[in-house]
Amino acid sequence: MASASADSRPAGADETARPSGKRRTTGEPAAPQESVAQRPAAAPGPAAPGSISPRPAPQVPTAPKRRAGRSGSLTRLLWTLPPIAVLGLVFLYPLYLVVEQSFHPDEGGTSLAPYREVFASEAFREALWTTVWIAVGATVGCLILGFVLALIIAFVPFPGGKAVAKFIDVFLSFPSFLITLALLFIYGTVGMANGVWTDATGAASGPFDFLTTPWGVLLAEITYFTPFVMRPLLAAFSGLDTAQLEAASSLGARPARIIRQVILPEALPALAAGGSLVLVMCLNEFGIVLFTGAKGVTTLPMLVYSEAILESDYPAACVVAVVNIAISVSLFGLYRVVVARTGRGATSTLSKGASRVGA
Amino acid sequence: MSRQSAPSSGIRFERVSVAYGKRGGLGARGANGTYTALDSFDLTVEPGEVMALLGPSGSGKTTALRAVAGFVQPVSGRVLIGDRDVTALPPHRRGIGMVVQQYALFPHMRVEQNVAFGLKAQRVPRGEIAGRVAEALEMTGMAAYARRYPRELSGGQQQRVAIARALAIRPGVLLLDEPLSALDAQLRSGMLAELARLHRELPDVSILYVTHDQVEALTLADRIAVLDKARLQDCGTPQDLYRRPRTEFTASFVGNANLLPVSVGTGGVRFAGTELAVATVDVMPGADAILCVRPHLVGLGEGENTLRGTIAEVQWRGSTHRLFVDVAGHRVKADVRELRETPALGAAVALHFAAHDAVLLPAGTGQAATGPVAGETDAEAAASTPSVTAVVGAISVAKGAGGDIDG
Amino acid sequence: MLVHSRTGRWATWIVFFALFLPLFALPLLVIVAASFSTHWSGAFPSGPTTEHYGAAVRGESLEALTTSLITALTASVLALAVGTWAALAAAALRRRGKRVVDALFMLPVAVPSVVVGLAVLVAFSKPPMLLNGTRWIVILAHGVLVTAFAYQSVSAAVTRLDPAYEQAAASLGARPWLVLWRVKLPLLLPSLNAAAGLCFALSMGELSATMMLYPPDWMPLPVRIFTATDRGSLFTGSAVAVVLMGTTLLVLLAVSRIRTRASYR
Repeated sequence: MASASADSRPAGADETARPSGKRRTTGEPAAPQESVAQRPAAAPGPAAPGSISPRPAPQVPTAPKRRAGRSGSLTRLLWTLPPIAVLGLVFLYPLYLVVEQSFHPDEGGTSLAPYREVFASEAFREALWTTVWIAVGATVGCLILGFVLALIIAFVPFPGGKAVAKFIDVFLSFPSFLITLALLFIYGTVGMANGVWTDATGAASGPFDFLTTPWGVLLAEITYFTPFVMRPLLAAFSGLDTAQLEAASSLGARPARIIRQVILPEALPALAAGGSLVLVMCLNEFGIVLFTGAKGVTTLPMLVYSEAILESDYPAACVVAVVNIAISVSLFGLYRVVVARTGRGATSTLSKGASRVGA
Repeated sequence: MSRQSAPSSGIRFERVSVAYGKRGGLGARGANGTYTALDSFDLTVEPGEVMALLGPSGSGKTTALRAVAGFVQPVSGRVLIGDRDVTALPPHRRGIGMVVQQYALFPHMRVEQNVAFGLKAQRVPRGEIAGRVAEALEMTGMAAYARRYPRELSGGQQQRVAIARALAIRPGVLLLDEPLSALDAQLRSGMLAELARLHRELPDVSILYVTHDQVEALTLADRIAVLDKARLQDCGTPQDLYRRPRTEFTASFVGNANLLPVSVGTGGVRFAGTELAVATVDVMPGADAILCVRPHLVGLGEGENTLRGTIAEVQWRGSTHRLFVDVAGHRVKADVRELRETPALGAAVALHFAAHDAVLLPAGTGQAATGPVAGETDAEAAASTPSVTAVVGAISVAKGAGGDIDG
Repeated sequence: MLVHSRTGRWATWIVFFALFLPLFALPLLVIVAASFSTHWSGAFPSGPTTEHYGAAVRGESLEALTTSLITALTASVLALAVGTWAALAAAALRRRGKRVVDALFMLPVAVPSVVVGLAVLVAFSKPPMLLNGTRWIVILAHGVLVTAFAYQSVSAAVTRLDPAYEQAAASLGARPWLVLWRVKLPLLLPSLNAAAGLCFALSMGELSATMMLYPPDWMPLPVRIFTATDRGSLFTGSAVAVVLMGTTLLVLLAVSRIRTRASYR
């Protein structure tokens, strides 16, 4: 054992002396081979361009830093007040006014009369029903379509897949009513689809005549909102370990089985999050319905608009608005819960990985 | 306040306890959902001393360092830097230098801007900044890279810049949080030497060095504080801890010793029916104890103390062979110089060790350490075989502390 | 790879494009095609012309374009300022406080835009805050609507920001405002950029609240498209829509081209 330590001692001493001595004499800081050979070690985390901090937080929870100092926490609270005050002035207070006005009929006083009136009207009940079934239908459609398309992009990759994903991002940045405008040209009475039909069969008019019905709105909403489902799904799929799929298929599982047992469980949180978001957005959708321009399709947002702007019946508009807010906000709360659940799951796996690397 | 020429100042922990909120963690979980990351921690780092905090992950060592930096607030106790109670001070007023595992260089600043950042923050006169940046970069050998961005540097180079940045503000206290663990093994030993050199050049700076790597701690530290389960387990010079560990945990975590359960007789101990001689018996006769023998001090063949068993596993580690020998149901590790012929599994062998190489520990001191942690260090030791033994030998010579510690 | 056989893969791709092209690509193509045509009766448009673009970049439409640009720009800047401030302040709060601020700033996403329009209309139609009839009521509503998105993306970026940076800065003696100004904000810049692009695009396409609020002299592009198509001039409407899409894309492209030093890593 004595020789073991004797053997390695000079080597260790050399190591200590050489790099620093060389450095001083040549003035060439780090040995050049280090900068080349150690390149892979240079970026310890995967450095995605555009991401701020590719490295996850260090293993120690960051919570404690927020605990420092009681007076500090008061200061922090004070700093949040200015933006909240702005929000309160331009949004929360106006929202309160809407609720308040819904209890003030034009005749004056405070009563539930506007609610009774609105709830009694056939138009409101129909609008409520139309809104809900279109929203639910569109959500289901988006989920199915979005799942299938995202599945293919992620797991049956093709050369243009990246471009398609990019296109979806661009698609999301356009306003919704453009879809209705486009559908007019495609499925309108003199549009593309009917044109192809009449050209092919020689008939006087084509079979497509659904644009001014709720089905037209449904189609437009499915088209417009499907990318909102695809995006979180693609993100979830990219986190899925392909080794899992390979392992499953090497064990002889067929695609349908892999989808059901491996991919679907992984995608469920994203599906739930995307689905509930789309449901809220469909409930609130206005542009598509407005551009459809059909008297037969009235949704809650449309009713708010027509009561307020066309009829100038503000209390009624406010009542409808309150109902619409109640539905959407509660659904949105649900969405936030879903996202918080899945999000926390995601970060916990992330920090788990980090602590494994770090400690 | 002139922090520029910080007088050498030590660090003192006075019964420091840190508890975290409900978020998960590895420490002991308390009744109200919090868990204690550091429990009544007492430690004094002398001015100019290098103190390593050594322990497995979750032992509280990083928490202790962050309590000095001000990133965690103790629930009780005080932290002093020099004579100053800094417990309630925000981090930016503590006058410390800190280097962390992931470097945390500002990616949007050039190397020189990174190093100058602290000087500007402390309002060092403009004319002085350039000189001090150059000085710090010179000291860490990064002067030629001043105009680069961190992303253009290798891991080792980034770490040098991080050290230069911390040193530029001339702190009295330097905190190093696993500074080498993001580097690969080869680079690590180079940086270790570099850190030792830096400390020789700056003898007044007190260094608190957090690591889970015993080799780093043994190489660099004047003293090592061993932590486990949020508590200080042991503290002493490297030689002291290595040769005369006071707890089972230290014995297994530092250097991965053989720990044999023995019963104490008068003048010797009894292990699995065999009488063994030990140099000093400071445990009550009749009590149970743990006999600690370093694997490299166990040899093949008969000797002063002989153990007989069968070979269970043999690992070839280049210059040495590690033998795992089953002795009466206990596995004894022996590191022997490379054997001409690899012994066959199941072969009967005799092992021996000298009486003065064995240390007797009272039983029941930090037993958890023999579990997975021991396995972990085993793996680490395998990765850098000759290290621990060599390092201890080397530093005993280097520091002139060699001598007869074993007494 | 889920499908291993060659034919299986091709079949899958065919299904994909059979769904994808008519649903997503065709609508945009059709609008572009229509903007260059005078007639559309039958399978394909006829009478190629560029005269709609002449109309789309002149007079009323040009005015609508500048209106939209100014509205989107102002609203985005305001939203970004408020959203960033709120996100940074909220990140420093404890968990419960952060959750409250989160909920408050995400509320405008949940509330239907039409209702936001109605609320702003109700609140700002009487003194002392009489904005109804001015451009400011439109800008204000847009600001409210996009603030939620600005807050959300900045907030996510702040959470992702490695605390090691600010801790390193603090350990070097930097006071909190210096940490914010020289470390945190520069590191957040790429996300602020992205958030700005998002806000701008959303504001450019905003129709619901705008329909409730716009005064006659402040008519943004989407309203212009609606009035055009409502009058039956579908082709002019398409040309204006293409201008809208083009402008949005250009701005998004420009924003994505802005590379800050922090975005390289």
